[in-house]
Amino acid sequence: MSILDPFRIGFRNFFRPMITEPLPWKQTRQRSERYRASFALVHDEHGEEACIGCKMCEKICPSQIITVTTGAKAKSEATGKMRGTCADFTLDLNACIICELCVQVCPTDAIVMVRVQERPSFDRNELMLTMEKLYANEQKKQNAWADGTKLIAMQDPGAGGGKD
Amino acid sequence: MAVTLSHSLPVQTLPRTMQVGGVTVPVDLVTTGWPDPQMRLEDYDPEADLMTINMGPQHPSTHGVLRVKLWLDGETVVKAVPYVGYLHRGVEKLCEKLTYVQLTPIVDKNDYVSPMMNEMAINMAIENALGIEPPRRAQYMRSILAEIQRIGSHLISVGTWGLDMGGAIGGGATIFMFCMRERELLLDLFEELTGCRFHYNTHTVGGQRHDLPVGWDVKAKQVLARIVERSYEYEQFLVENPICRARARGVAVLDPLLAMECGASGPILRGSGVDFDLRRDAPYAAYGEIEVRVPTRTEGDALARAMVRVDEIRESARIASALLDGVPEGPICALKPVKLPGAVKLMEGETAYAAVEGPRGELGTYLVAQTDRKVGQHPYRLKIRSPSLHALSLLPYLCPGHTLADVVVIIGSLDPIMGEVDR
Repeated sequence: MSILDPFRIGFRNFFRPMITEPLPWKQTRQRSERYRASFALVHDEHGEEACIGCKMCEKICPSQIITVTTGAKAKSEATGKMRGTCADFTLDLNACIICELCVQVCPTDAIVMVRVQERPSFDRNELMLTMEKLYANEQKKQNAWADGTKLIAMQDPGAGGGKD
Repeated sequence: MAVTLSHSLPVQTLPRTMQVGGVTVPVDLVTTGWPDPQMRLEDYDPEADLMTINMGPQHPSTHGVLRVKLWLDGETVVKAVPYVGYLHRGVEKLCEKLTYVQLTPIVDKNDYVSPMMNEMAINMAIENALGIEPPRRAQYMRSILAEIQRIGSHLISVGTWGLDMGGAIGGGATIFMFCMRERELLLDLFEELTGCRFHYNTHTVGGQRHDLPVGWDVKAKQVLARIVERSYEYEQFLVENPICRARARGVAVLDPLLAMECGASGPILRGSGVDFDLRRDAPYAAYGEIEVRVPTRTEGDALARAMVRVDEIRESARIASALLDGVPEGPICALKPVKLPGAVKLMEGETAYAAVEGPRGELGTYLVAQTDRKVGQHPYRLKIRSPSLHALSLLPYLCPGHTLADVVVIIGSLDPIMGEVDR
């Protein structure tokens, strides 16, 4: 170890290729297909609100952040059958742990996750996803891969070649 | 016999060993007279001018909110007492109010550096109580994900330990950046599989929730090969960097008998030459179908514990690549998909224990079932045996006699995760 060693090391590294990469300015990160971030409520194929207010998501939520108020039963204009409706739906994203269980249990695929996060805000109430915000998310944000039917089909022991 | 996978350390003659309680330990590490953690300060030296200082709970090198009370004689530690509980969130109590299918996303947050192991341990306990076994595809996936998660956890451990020792001046920031760069690749793999970079909720009772996407195995193998290639760089840093060598070699030599007495497991125990690994000795998931080589070191010091982690990175990459070749086709879950909170039902008073080899040692879950008319089926008591807590109990034994600066190295080499210690 002599006093010239640092110079020798520096000289040798001068000719090596760089391992650092420039910061990718103005490039958004490519998220994978199954990426999930926030929530949306969707309309079904007839253009009606898909949520029937069955409270399944409220029951399974581990952090108990979903509040559903069931509305009166009404006749569907498209199919003419009686169906449940949802009067109010609130999801507190402040305490959400993004576990995807509410998406899995939804019988009508009404609640889905979207790929775009909510903007950070100075006000906690802005992260309370009300019914209006959730339906607006359906229009504004791209849906994530999963919905209830797909998740159930993936896990079903009968689907993948019989019970092991 | 000790398995040495690396070639950078000088070749050593095999140590003389002795048998203690059916376990082979190196003779040279066995010492007589451990430091007394309950030592009265009057017994030390009445003339000495001792200074009491608190390290933490907000100290950046305590890996969370660990508080260590230190009594110093000059710069030498006389007595050290760790205080835990600053991150207590009441997870075990919370689990008593939730049903079995809701537990997985909650226990994710215990050991926030390796959530995959937490999910696996709790679901294995529930499956043991139910008496069911996941399909083979799910078992393979569990092993693969666990090994990849182990690599990610060890990368954090080695990287932050380098940061503790060297900082920006000693080159520690370099290994930290290298480790974080590689860990990013692993998190991308998890994101592609589960949709989340962390806190996945991908295990469920009876199997997995997300199937492997098409082309995932090819990508995973490429990433693993890259990490193996780069792991030699970490080893070079740990062994050849003069600052790192001076600060870690010969520091906090751990007696294997003391380690076993305190219940330490994982890399801490293997760094002291005890050849113990649940993956090989009590196989679970798909580990029974593959050879698991257990890297051990016989130096017993802080450097040896870190080197065991680097060796395990390579070994885990090998296991995961080998398992990826043979993933069988079939269903990924033995039970019907969860539709209701009370989908899994256990008998009143049924108990089960399941242990997995986490990155820090034996991560166990003990479960007693209960039936409540109001809540439905939920655990009466859920005990999580966290390896970090047992590792921290070694701190009063290891610190005395070392300088204050060494305490940082010792805490880093034990690799405690406070979220798991306090739960």
